[in-house]
Amino acid sequence: MSESETTAAECVQCDHCMQETGRNTAVTARIDGQTKYFCCHGCLGVYELVNSSSLDAFYRQRCDWQPGPPATGVKLQSAHFSDTVTIAGDEHRIELLLSGIRCASCVWLIEKFLVKVEGVLSARVNYATHKAIITWSGRKTTLDTILNAVRDIGYLPHPCHQNAGSTVFAEEKQDLLLRFGTAGFFSMQLMLFTAALYAGFFQGMESRYRVAFQLISWALASPVLFYAGFPFLSNAWRSLRRLTLNMDVLVALGSLSAYLYSIAMIPLGGEVFFDSAAMIITFILLGRFLEAGSRLKAGNAMAELAELQPQEALLLSESGQTTMVPISAVNPGDRIEVIPGDRIPLDGVVIEGEAEVNESMLTGESRPVLKEPGSSIFAGSFSMNGRLTIKVTGKASATLLSRIIKTVEDAHARKAPIQNIADKTAGFFVPVTILLAFATFLYWKLSSGSTVSALLNAVSVLVIACPCALGLATPLAILVGTSASGKKGILVKGGDIFETLSKTTTVVLDKTGTITRGKPSITDLHDFARTPAFLQHAASLEASSEHPTAHALAGAWDGDLLKVERFRAIPGRGVSGTIEGESWLAGSEAFMQQENIEITPEQQAIASRLDTEGKTVVMVACNKRVAGVIGLIDDLRDDALPMIKLLRKKGMKLKILTGDNRGVADYIAAKCGITDVQACLGPIEKAAVIRELKERGECVMMVGDGINDAPALTEADTGVTVGQASGIALESAGVAILKDDLRLISTLIDSSSKCFSVIRQNLFWAFAYNLIALPLAVTGVLHPIISAMLMATSSLVVVSNSLRLKKP
Amino acid sequence: MYTIFFLIGIGLFVGVAAWFLFIWAVKSGQFDDPEAPKYRMLDDDDEPAKTAEHGKREEK
Repeated sequence: MSESETTAAECVQCDHCMQETGRNTAVTARIDGQTKYFCCHGCLGVYELVNSSSLDAFYRQRCDWQPGPPATGVKLQSAHFSDTVTIAGDEHRIELLLSGIRCASCVWLIEKFLVKVEGVLSARVNYATHKAIITWSGRKTTLDTILNAVRDIGYLPHPCHQNAGSTVFAEEKQDLLLRFGTAGFFSMQLMLFTAALYAGFFQGMESRYRVAFQLISWALASPVLFYAGFPFLSNAWRSLRRLTLNMDVLVALGSLSAYLYSIAMIPLGGEVFFDSAAMIITFILLGRFLEAGSRLKAGNAMAELAELQPQEALLLSESGQTTMVPISAVNPGDRIEVIPGDRIPLDGVVIEGEAEVNESMLTGESRPVLKEPGSSIFAGSFSMNGRLTIKVTGKASATLLSRIIKTVEDAHARKAPIQNIADKTAGFFVPVTILLAFATFLYWKLSSGSTVSALLNAVSVLVIACPCALGLATPLAILVGTSASGKKGILVKGGDIFETLSKTTTVVLDKTGTITRGKPSITDLHDFARTPAFLQHAASLEASSEHPTAHALAGAWDGDLLKVERFRAIPGRGVSGTIEGESWLAGSEAFMQQENIEITPEQQAIASRLDTEGKTVVMVACNKRVAGVIGLIDDLRDDALPMIKLLRKKGMKLKILTGDNRGVADYIAAKCGITDVQACLGPIEKAAVIRELKERGECVMMVGDGINDAPALTEADTGVTVGQASGIALESAGVAILKDDLRLISTLIDSSSKCFSVIRQNLFWAFAYNLIALPLAVTGVLHPIISAMLMATSSLVVVSNSLRLKKP
Repeated sequence: MYTIFFLIGIGLFVGVAAWFLFIWAVKSGQFDDPEAPKYRMLDDDDEPAKTAEHGKREEK
């Protein structure tokens, strides 16, 4: 028995999508006198099309392209889109959401290509939102032509419904931009006059100029406070009525007290603090605006997810005829048909036909599952080959997919309202300040008897205590921290996440696609034929198959391939063909038995050992005898071990959850040295495991990528996705690591604890200021200009301390 | 003597005008896509157009 290591396959890069692909499995074509390699026929088609439209500049100028295949070969139903078309005379207009946009050059390609389509009047693609607005002449072309043109160059159009979640986010972002812009504009103008007033205080200033400047400052501060700051004021009012004090109360109290005190000071000839009132609102709005930007990205991912469940099904009538109907019209008991390459629209049981179905999005199982009559099938998975007739078992609203989505929504709703550090501070600080101001009022009223001076002293306590630095302490650190991680490719969707992240004690890892590659590679090779050509024959045979296992096998041989005649693929079993006059087979053990291939006890033993280790076993037979046994497994990613080492160093407890079977889970666990593994878990069970961990007092970070992780990602204290995650995973996770590098998880924990410690330092400074200034203000000895300077200094300390986070 | 108020008036007028311009820009969608324009200016428009053949391409 000879055993060899995994053969390193020679890889080429697909000329269209830049994905690495085995040299032998690649589709090759000679274009303009050069040999080009493609990972699939879809990429070749797109390349030819782009080239023939003389848009090949696309390939020369694109940058920052993330490798990935185009969305070709998907059938488009223009009926789904027709209700989003607006018609004005002959001019038709549609807004589409495009998936598959990977770099800025894609925008160029789509626009240029569409404009060349006859009848298209204009095409404009928004790179930030992946939305396209296309207008065309109704007489010259049809919606179908346009949709297919988009599809043909490798992008998948989705109808863009107005009520989609992303529209809400877009509107929110625009509203915040208007408010922040306004606040910024008026604050800048205000600063001019404030600078003059400060200079006037030291050098002397004619009172009419001072009053005039103060009045102008008042006029400039008002829109900032009442338009830009309106959300804070109304939120503060709402939370006061519910008697829950939060961050907004702090902001509203600080800016309003400074504003009102300043108005009172104009006729009295005192100093004004309009700039403090405006500045705090401007800074906090900037933070909220940037946060809305990252939420908008997630919202778009959610809109793409809605397409996972097809909206129509092929209904099979008693007489055997098929009609396309909306899924809501299909009742349990009806029969539907699914053609190869289509997504399953509804849950059901297969009654006719067999096909291999990819369920990895739902179950996390990396291998395609063979569906035969009697097996149950789930909406959202897709048939890779073979036609199926399915008896529907549940309504469209009760599919496993929609249950998962519902679990995610529920978990979102159940999550306790953000109890972040600033809110806690506000809950304690606000009542103390108000009590103190009230006490000051009482003291001066009783000792001097004058209501006006007592009132002024009380308000000046509020102003001195003006929690400007306190209000800025958290948002500013979070703002700088968020944008610094954004530059590293880590998208943090909210400030509170930093706080929970820095407390993480347990990291739960999903297996498939997160710490493993998500596609199989060869681990064991037993060659009984004792010919060097064994692997070559196996690879040649498998090269024509689309199955992921076949891809791995074909990629393992880096020499020339042999010509295969009479090729035959049997779904779920294997492939057969004739090479140089000899009949070759490759496939499962069951396939070998079915074909009456002789298996020796030794081979049998190897196969069952590999099987218990969780490996996929492929037997290769030549002339009715088994020539070799190959074991494949979805192996660890290269960066998984470094990541685990980094996390261990931080003292994190590690745990692996997977939907795969025990054997695979144990193999991976042993390989990366994690003892805590739970296998065979469904999406909802994964969430339950997380909840249990949380109940034991752990602060859990969940790392996952698929739909099957979505409930767990939401349930965990923080959910993290790495690399190309599915839409719903992106939506459920608090953090999206956009770069495909697991080591960034450790970077994320580092930067969040750094951010959190900066927040604590900021709060310390802000409190220290208040502790010193407040007693002075209560006793009425603090000169207003000194307090203004103290206020500015404490804000400056907070700002410059937060800026330290920018350093890598 | 009142020159300063005149100048302040002009300054405020220009500032408010710019603010209105900003509001117009946001409302008309100038800020919707902050990413693409920086790449768009580098695109070549004047590639010699071959005959566009994709229109005749048959559906597979």
